[in-house]
Amino acid sequence: MSTRINDTTDLQAISRKRDLRRKTLPALAQAGPVSVWMILFVTIPMLYIIYISFMSRGVFGDVVYEFSLESYQTLLDATYFKVILKSLQVALFTTVLCLLLGYPFAYYIARKPPEKASRLIMLIMIPFWTNSLMRLNSWLLLFQTSGPINNFLQWAGITDAPITFVYTDGLVVLGMITNMLPFAVLPLYSSIEKLQKSLLEASSDLGATPRETFFRVTLPLTFPGIFSAVILVFIPSLGIYTVSDMLGGGKVLYIGNIIKNQFGSIRNWPLGAALSVLLLVITGALIFLYTRFSKLEDMEVV
Amino acid sequence: MKRILSGVLAGAMLLALCACGGDSSAPAETTAAGTDAPAETTPAEASTELNIYMWQQYISDELIANFEEENNCTVNLSYMSDNADAITKLTAGGGQEYDLIMTCDAYMESLIAGGYVEKLDLTQIPNSSNINEAYWTAKDYCVPYLMNYIYIVYNTETCPIDITCYNDLIDPALKGQISTIDGARNLFPIALIALGYDPNSTEESEIAEAYEWLVKFNENVVAYGAAEQNLTNGTASVALTYDGNTSWAMSEMGENNTLVVADPFDDAVQLGFDLYVIPTGAQHTDLAYKFLNYICDPEAMAKNLEEYPYSCPNDAAVAAAPESYRNDPARNFSYKENVFFQEDVGEALTIYNDYYQKLKVGQ
Amino acid sequence: MASLTKVQRRRKALGILGDVYAILIYTVLYIPVVVMMIFSFNDQRYNYYWSGFTTQWYGKLLSNHALMDSLWYSIIIAVLATVISVVVGTLGALGLKRYEFKMKKFINSMIFIPIIVPEIVLAVALLIIFMNIGVSLGMGSILIGHCTFCIPYAVVTIKGRISGDGETLEEASMDLGANRIQTFLRVTLPSIMPGVMSAAFLSFTLSIDDVVMSNMLAGAKNSTLPVLILSMNKSGVTPDVNALTTIMILVIVACMLLSNAVKAMLRKRSQAA
Repeated sequence: MSTRINDTTDLQAISRKRDLRRKTLPALAQAGPVSVWMILFVTIPMLYIIYISFMSRGVFGDVVYEFSLESYQTLLDATYFKVILKSLQVALFTTVLCLLLGYPFAYYIARKPPEKASRLIMLIMIPFWTNSLMRLNSWLLLFQTSGPINNFLQWAGITDAPITFVYTDGLVVLGMITNMLPFAVLPLYSSIEKLQKSLLEASSDLGATPRETFFRVTLPLTFPGIFSAVILVFIPSLGIYTVSDMLGGGKVLYIGNIIKNQFGSIRNWPLGAALSVLLLVITGALIFLYTRFSKLEDMEVV
Repeated sequence: MKRILSGVLAGAMLLALCACGGDSSAPAETTAAGTDAPAETTPAEASTELNIYMWQQYISDELIANFEEENNCTVNLSYMSDNADAITKLTAGGGQEYDLIMTCDAYMESLIAGGYVEKLDLTQIPNSSNINEAYWTAKDYCVPYLMNYIYIVYNTETCPIDITCYNDLIDPALKGQISTIDGARNLFPIALIALGYDPNSTEESEIAEAYEWLVKFNENVVAYGAAEQNLTNGTASVALTYDGNTSWAMSEMGENNTLVVADPFDDAVQLGFDLYVIPTGAQHTDLAYKFLNYICDPEAMAKNLEEYPYSCPNDAAVAAAPESYRNDPARNFSYKENVFFQEDVGEALTIYNDYYQKLKVGQ
Repeated sequence: MASLTKVQRRRKALGILGDVYAILIYTVLYIPVVVMMIFSFNDQRYNYYWSGFTTQWYGKLLSNHALMDSLWYSIIIAVLATVISVVVGTLGALGLKRYEFKMKKFINSMIFIPIIVPEIVLAVALLIIFMNIGVSLGMGSILIGHCTFCIPYAVVTIKGRISGDGETLEEASMDLGANRIQTFLRVTLPSIMPGVMSAAFLSFTLSIDDVVMSNMLAGAKNSTLPVLILSMNKSGVTPDVNALTTIMILVIVACMLLSNAVKAMLRKRSQAA
């Protein structure tokens, strides 16, 4: 450093250099990997999906790169409208049930001491380290016509003939809930846990009934958790197809099945891509409305 | 910061890979070798690995082990979960990864036209002479392995009616009783035959009529798929399924078997073949030929049939198979000649799919 | 006084109700696991119904290479996906929370895409890209796929744990002469550790149980356990898969209990000192 720093341009250069070291480099090192990953493996593939949805199908089910709106015209068919409506219904039903079941459960865990709470949370996740298909199959084995439940009911004299539990909507709902419940409980737990006890005490000290405290304090303050829970349950439920295939007997097609089939047995990739885009638009629109409505920007998980 | 972390990460990956190589050396090493050493297959030296893509639970482990020992090689089996998986692999240049791919007869025409499969040199498969010509479509491009009749089985104790034709399946007495195979191209032919049309029809009006028939059929279906399971545990009393699966179900019921194949039966039943093709650009064709020859060997195939009791187009193998296989009640039916094959329906496939989706979406 | 005891009694009743409710939920979550374990002792070729007790499947497990290999791949992929997602996610969460840059908003919305898009869509998108640029399918492609949906969860989870005053502490640390790496390891990381742990936990869970993405991106030689189980759909699942899953879950639970015990011991020792 023999040069004396008189020159303003020098000063600027040095400050720019310091800026680079203090701000730009760390920013690059920290946000760089995630940005590159997202652009490479999310942005580009999604753009490509949109691109393909405007192409046409070849004879062997390959993609022919000629512009066509055919796939989107196909979507106007009433069948797809029904499929989407049905899928939305199931996803909504699952989400509401998971929230109703999950909130008291998360509340229960959050009121435990931290050590115990983290163990209880762990206990929710352990079943998920076995395979989801195996767990679904377990429900079938349990409820099938000559299965333990039916045997017990007959033995106890509750029923004479075996009851058909398998391949009913009830079993599908049970399967959906056991697969999705943890994704509701985790964010709910996280937001309830952050809730300060003093606030609740203050509310009750000020004469609020437990019900008032819950609806005026607890519920509004845990809204971010509810928001994340809704997203984490609703969206995967919308695209899932293994549950209805296995427990519902494959009698009903959902949007997930139809997309899978377009890329699989039917081999109409442009239509599959167009359906994917449609699903993206629907979920995007729902989330947009939802965030607008609830005035939330960030979501929390765990 | 990032560099250190990426260093740590690279180290962790390396460690994991080493651990992987140590424990299950064969597959892990071949993954590493497979990508950078295709030069391995110079004609002078024989290949030491064979990659096969097929159905899970469809070939005897013993057969594979014997073949490996005889040819001093490793066979890597990987499995599909859908017939379409094989087509996806074939059309995506499957030869890079696989030497043999299992597919079925219905796809052969398009696969040959698209140039996705290698033409076979049958002189290298001398045992193929054992295969019944009647069951060998697209002879120059594939070797049939096993075959499936799609027929009707029912439980004499629980099924309320005798079934002698497809139209019996839409009898309201069977409501919620049928377990059936799935897929547009498996279901529609049944309906088309019941209505007296060509099972591979391309006429939209006929397919639409078949759809109406299937709507009634759908009322009686309890589940698509898992026929064996549903027959043996009593969920279904009737199944539209493959003869191989029926054989399992019958032997699973053992002494108390009350399942029978619908016989006599007035309508034609579907016969499909699972066959092996060599994908274009396959790397280890020498071993692939040896394998194809090996599965056509009557003795080897007979043993395989004992474990996997499916119908087989290899007459010599069937003759060499044990008594229990040849007298299997699942294959004892009188209408083996009254069959139809699934054919390529070209553009009409979209019509089938539209109606299939409509069927499954319901009202 | 009387009203107080009434409140107390009511609290106690609520507490018992809560316990019963929680036990009920756990029961429903664990029934499938227990049934799965029981059927690992089923004396039947495929698991259709119960037909007798046997331990043969545990004996045959080790010789089933396809099954053992696929489990091995599943674990390797889950561990690697967890490590990569946590590293990229931790850095990303810090970077996206603390710095302003041009693409920030864009990257932020990109992070939400894997969360809000059904998995099948992203899986197909990745498959098309990999096929077009000639990436051969296999362990690498599955790993990339898993990281792509694990990283966003990691970022979101960790971001929630970064507090506002972290930066002040970091500056203090650096003023006191610590360099960036020391600061990161000694100040930043401990403060966000709970978030990092949950992110790791979540990533591992998502990866080990993934079917859709793995099935799309699996190559010739190595598929994960869920993909193998999916391919058993045609015939039915064999009891040895149940046996394998049973062992796997027991090992994991044993590891967790062990780590808990070690942690408790260390805490006691540090308290004693």
